[in-house]
Amino acid sequence: MRIFRTRRASGAVALALASALVLPACGSGGSNSDLELSDKPVTLRFTWWGSDARHERTQQVIDLFQKEHQNITVKGEFKDWNGYWESLATTVAANDAPDVIQMDELYLASYAERGALFDLATASKHLKTADFDPNALATGQVDGKQYAVPVGLTVYSMVVNTDLLAQYGAQLPDDSSWTWDDLKTIGDQISKASGGKVTGVQSWGFDAGGVNIWARQAGASLYDDTGNVVIPQDVLAGYWSYLADLAKTGIAPQPSVTIERASAGLDQSGTATNSSVFGTWWNTQLTSLTKASGQNLKLLKLPGEAQAKSPGAYYKPSMFWSVSSRSKYPAEAALFVDFLANSEAAANVLLTDRGVPANNKIRAMIASQLTETDKAAVAYLDSIKVGPAPRVTPNGASSIEAILKRHTEAVLFGRSTPDEAAAAFIKELQVEIDRA
Amino acid sequence: MSALGDLRRIKGSTRGSPQKRDNRTALAFLLPWFAGLGLITIGPIVASLVLGFTDYNLIQPPKFNGVDNFTRMLSDERLHQALGVTFTYVMVSVPLQLACALALAMLLDRGLRGLAFYRSAFYLPSLLGSSVAIAVLWRQIFGAEGLVNQLLALVGIEGRGWISDPSTALSTLIVLNVWTFGAPMIIFLAGLRQIPIMYYEAAAVDGASKWIMFWRVTLPLLSPIIFFNLVLQIIHAFQSFTQAFVVSGGSGGPSDSTLFYTLYLYHRGFNSFDMGYASALAWLLLMIIAALTAVNFWAAKYWVFYDD
Amino acid sequence: MTDLTNRLRGSALTDRPSGTAPPPQASRRRRWSVGWTRSAVKHLSLCLLALVMLYPVLWMVVSSLRPNNEIFRRPGLVLESLQTQNYADGWEALASPFGHYLFNSAIVVLGCIIGNLVSCSMAAYAFARLEFTGKRMWFAIMLGTIMLPIHVIIVPQYIFFSQLDWINTFLPLIVPKLLATDAFFVFLMVQFIRGLPRELDEAARIDGCGHWRIFLQIILPLMKPALATTVIFTFIWTWNDFFSQLIYLTDPDLYTVPVALRSFVDSTVATSWGSMFAMSVVSLMPVFLAFLLGQRYLVKGIATTGGK
Repeated sequence: MRIFRTRRASGAVALALASALVLPACGSGGSNSDLELSDKPVTLRFTWWGSDARHERTQQVIDLFQKEHQNITVKGEFKDWNGYWESLATTVAANDAPDVIQMDELYLASYAERGALFDLATASKHLKTADFDPNALATGQVDGKQYAVPVGLTVYSMVVNTDLLAQYGAQLPDDSSWTWDDLKTIGDQISKASGGKVTGVQSWGFDAGGVNIWARQAGASLYDDTGNVVIPQDVLAGYWSYLADLAKTGIAPQPSVTIERASAGLDQSGTATNSSVFGTWWNTQLTSLTKASGQNLKLLKLPGEAQAKSPGAYYKPSMFWSVSSRSKYPAEAALFVDFLANSEAAANVLLTDRGVPANNKIRAMIASQLTETDKAAVAYLDSIKVGPAPRVTPNGASSIEAILKRHTEAVLFGRSTPDEAAAAFIKELQVEIDRA
Repeated sequence: MSALGDLRRIKGSTRGSPQKRDNRTALAFLLPWFAGLGLITIGPIVASLVLGFTDYNLIQPPKFNGVDNFTRMLSDERLHQALGVTFTYVMVSVPLQLACALALAMLLDRGLRGLAFYRSAFYLPSLLGSSVAIAVLWRQIFGAEGLVNQLLALVGIEGRGWISDPSTALSTLIVLNVWTFGAPMIIFLAGLRQIPIMYYEAAAVDGASKWIMFWRVTLPLLSPIIFFNLVLQIIHAFQSFTQAFVVSGGSGGPSDSTLFYTLYLYHRGFNSFDMGYASALAWLLLMIIAALTAVNFWAAKYWVFYDD
Repeated sequence: MTDLTNRLRGSALTDRPSGTAPPPQASRRRRWSVGWTRSAVKHLSLCLLALVMLYPVLWMVVSSLRPNNEIFRRPGLVLESLQTQNYADGWEALASPFGHYLFNSAIVVLGCIIGNLVSCSMAAYAFARLEFTGKRMWFAIMLGTIMLPIHVIIVPQYIFFSQLDWINTFLPLIVPKLLATDAFFVFLMVQFIRGLPRELDEAARIDGCGHWRIFLQIILPLMKPALATTVIFTFIWTWNDFFSQLIYLTDPDLYTVPVALRSFVDSTVATSWGSMFAMSVVSLMPVFLAFLLGQRYLVKGIATTGGK
């Protein structure tokens, strides 16, 4: 194991200051490469976030790739979500970014528009995207360039605990026609039947998915094509009024409990601990939730879809593969992304760990190997009627979920009215986008 | 009071003895520190100052924008919220933590059976530091189904999610800080050990009560250490980050009620790619801490007793 | 060496008419005469306090012995079944066995401890005992260097270290400590040295000792509590330090304990909390042991206080 490694330290002091201020201009790196594979030894750095289960699977895939390409070494760098973005920002600032980067929808435009990512279309010789649905592939484009390849797809869904439903004598709602009011009614019935021990609904309002769906069902959208915030204030206020009502009427837990569970993560959520019957989740989380809850969970279509002006549901890429614009080996990096995205051997290991594969061929190929809950998640994804995906989160809006969460909290605790929160949210998010 | 007074006078007599300058020796002793300052510390500090006058998104080169970042602070409501939260936190948690630490250190300093056990027990929480586990553990105490609520339920009071209620969230972080009083406690213990026992013996001869001994012997002789803890804990508390970050899941929530200054700065810098503004914020913080520290040093003249 | 210190101590501290010193037995008997009940009450309340302090830690240990899906469904400390599977799983959960990360952390910690002990004590001696030009200014600068939050320093610092090609080595973590950049410990030691009676060095100087000899033979042995404090704190803080280790060590081969521990957790999927807690307990062991061993030196203050 290498512990210490040194090179000359000449002019170090001067460099520290100088380089912090005169960073190399962006987008220039990698251009000297002719995008041919080298036959000399190449080392790629590959970074991702996740939990220990994902680290293990990903390392297996790396080993498979290295076996196929003897001259390429892939160094995997695994991080937790928060540490990941600190580390990525710092390494990008120092012109020292990993070659292959797992990217999230929130940050894609922020990195791409500033020239930190490589246009993968220029490496189409090594990275094939033919098996991807064009709509899915489009989610990885910014300003018409393919900066990222979607890994998996997810859809927003309502997870219901059917065991608890039966226990409190409620009927499974017909999800082809139910409305948001129906959800309130059945939620109220359960909260009353359990005496408050179990609440009908677990409140949401902390992720971009919920508000996107609400806006889309109302025929609006969060952003317009140019990346400005265009959600009408009254639509957003309606969203928060609904959530505030759930809490006030006891259909959802009291606000402090809701917020505690939201920040605690999946394992401590109402759904996972069997203390709420309905909860909104991304469909692929069903497996984790079922494992944690130990009871029977089922995916339902979202309320209000039948009455919506346009379908609220959409395919959200769970994450993307992208390559640093300053990678010294863009061809090899693209080749590795190709392996991650198209190889059956890799897919057999990864399965649905990063979402239901966005590659149609791969999705069909792994279908038979999935667990019951994963099969249900795939079936749900295939059965649902979706509209075109919303615009990628604009450059500068990467903090939208933090802003959303803060205003949801303010509404739940009665510190602002839904209307005030909506006005403040729109203004704040727009300022962030304008500033970028 | 005579024996104690004698002692004081003996000590006092050696004060202010003429000193000549030892520049060369001092340079030798300070050589590592000067090297560190020049090679490692100063560069990044100056860089951050310069970046404070730029628009810098970490990915593209910084653009000079004059004092824009500083004028922006005036109308930044979240900054004002962060300042309020941080000041409250510092003003409440530092004195509380130091008082607890000193009290426990005094208690554990005397001949008490099982001393090592208590000392370890009280220090163990501080060992956890900024571990990820802290978030979960804290929820086990102050969460909706945590220990506090279970105890309250015994006496028939319905609790709430203390961590997630904006009106109590900051208080739980203050308790968390007080809970980890181990570090200042250890420093106090080490300081107490340095007080020569003859002072107490002299005071005992004069018939001083324990209370008098505490005020007349312990406090003055411990004052350099109290001062140290006070200065450092204030600096430290202003920079509090990890605990709030871990407990609130990084958000400073609910509703910005635990939005510590450095947490806000971190969000601007790393989540919103606004490192120029974050650097400017850092320098504002530096000014605030430096001013308070200067006040502390000025006030120290009136209550800190040095043996030189 | 001990001869010299003893002689000095003799001259400086017991330089009083011996007739006024109280017979030591008398004061001791008085202290032991505290009634049984008072002592019991004291122990009981201390134990209770210890339990409250330790509850989260105990909960963590208990949880590490529970099956994963029971952890959040059962509050309280009662264990129905004892399963050590989490320890086996956690040990092997990441790219390398967990021992590898413990080893990496140990190297970093060791380097930092040596660095802080040597460089900070030297700097502290200069600030506490030497007169040199610009002393107050340098002292203020030293304190100033810890007033900026690390989050704005880290980017320029990272760039600097990457120019040196030090990324993915332990050097960015250790070298700064060798160069006394940890002002906390410099200040801590300054305060301790200032608390030592000046008569000691003056007597030594009269005996013809230079500053290096005074530093090595008188001051260092007398500030053992401060040095022990430095060792313990450096150990704990380095062991728990997440941010800089995360940034400078990107190669999983070099990951340290805090970086490894965090990579267990992902809030969007089911996390192996059991494994995470198990490894948290494992990683707590070395620090706890270090503390248990170190605290012996904390209580061994200077010899004059041995009577307590």
